[in-house]
Amino acid sequence: MYHTSRHPLTDATPIDRLLDRLLSDSGQSGLLGPLGAHRMGHGEDDHEHGGDAEADILAQFAEQADDLHERVVHDHGIFVAEFLGATGSGKTRLIERLIERAPDDEEIGVIVGDVAGEDDATRFRELGVSVANVNTGKECHLDPSLVEGALEDLDLDALDTLYIENVGNMVCPADFPLGAQARVLVVSATEGDDVVRKHPLLFQACDGAVINKVDIAEAVNADLDLMESDVSEIAPEMPTFRTSAEHGDGLDELATFLDERGHVHASDHEHTHADGQTHEHDHSHEDGHDHAHKHD
Amino acid sequence: MHEFSIATQVLDAAREAAADHGADTFEGITVSVGDASHVNPDQLETCLDAAADSTITDGDLTIDIETEPAYAECACGWSGEPGEIDRALAYAPNLTCPECDARLELQAGNECRLMSVTLPETDDGSDPDAAGSPDANTTD
Repeated sequence: MYHTSRHPLTDATPIDRLLDRLLSDSGQSGLLGPLGAHRMGHGEDDHEHGGDAEADILAQFAEQADDLHERVVHDHGIFVAEFLGATGSGKTRLIERLIERAPDDEEIGVIVGDVAGEDDATRFRELGVSVANVNTGKECHLDPSLVEGALEDLDLDALDTLYIENVGNMVCPADFPLGAQARVLVVSATEGDDVVRKHPLLFQACDGAVINKVDIAEAVNADLDLMESDVSEIAPEMPTFRTSAEHGDGLDELATFLDERGHVHASDHEHTHADGQTHEHDHSHEDGHDHAHKHD
Repeated sequence: MHEFSIATQVLDAAREAAADHGADTFEGITVSVGDASHVNPDQLETCLDAAADSTITDGDLTIDIETEPAYAECACGWSGEPGEIDRALAYAPNLTCPECDARLELQAGNECRLMSVTLPETDDGSDPDAAGSPDANTTD
């Protein structure tokens, strides 16, 4: 048997990526705040993986997510937010509350990832929004191709906002970005106040964290301050929101954050494409902006 | 258990690399898993083994898994392997820059790479170097 030599781990690739990063993100680090490991960037992922002998398997999923992002966010001007977290953390209720507070003329779609069943999808349908239900069966997470399939059930020309509710799982979704402008991790006080420390890498891969069910924290003896300080130690600069989705508390700050993600994203584009081609992207984002403002 | 999806992709990539060298099968692969990726190396190995059994090799596939430490570079000039967050109950790199307290972005260590593919020795005695691994492509 012929054994091939290994590449040293300090291959040129990280330098390429650093250069891409410098070129695409320069001057914005303060503005953008925390960047999740798989955050959608523009320019930084133009980097060719196909030609690399060392195929980064995870980058392939990230590229698929980029394509999704390009299509949904750019071609259709839709604001996309993904919510992930354990079963029972309150993702569905939280999205319901965001839908309820949206203005009547905001067209909202929801992609609901669940291992099985229509329960969550039915709840959203009752609120009058478009719903694409994805039963993942044995898969424990949504991946870009499942989302791609779900988009078939939605009228992208009509939508202003798309919420994606990932499958209840605290591990697997992390390596499968879905092209959203905001990736929000929802944990609840009832999961125990060490939940942040148990899943540090997932927190690092997200853009914002919600600590939900704060109204019953005392009953389950959860230290909310500890949870919040854990988040800031593990994922520095990541905004954290305390909510009681059940009672509709704490949602203003979360909604504002989501609006801002849309804005930051737009300025990201203006910056990246400061070669005279900005108007195209600006235009495609205008819808999203208007609606984002109406949340207030 | 997202390792199975990843294993499938790894084997696809290996199959492609082998095909690039005119081989329709391969005997071994080396995969590098970043410490800060969410891939569990042991589970990945199990999944690779299972997926390879059903789709590729007649015999056993030699699977070599190596891990890659996290590496970050900060705008302030600091670079290196970030420390670990002691309080966390699972491994996580400390993403606060030790020099300037800004948030670090990882440049390496959050990936999962197919590093090399071992091809069967050719019967006609041709130089295996010509076939080799996908690494043979990289010298440019």
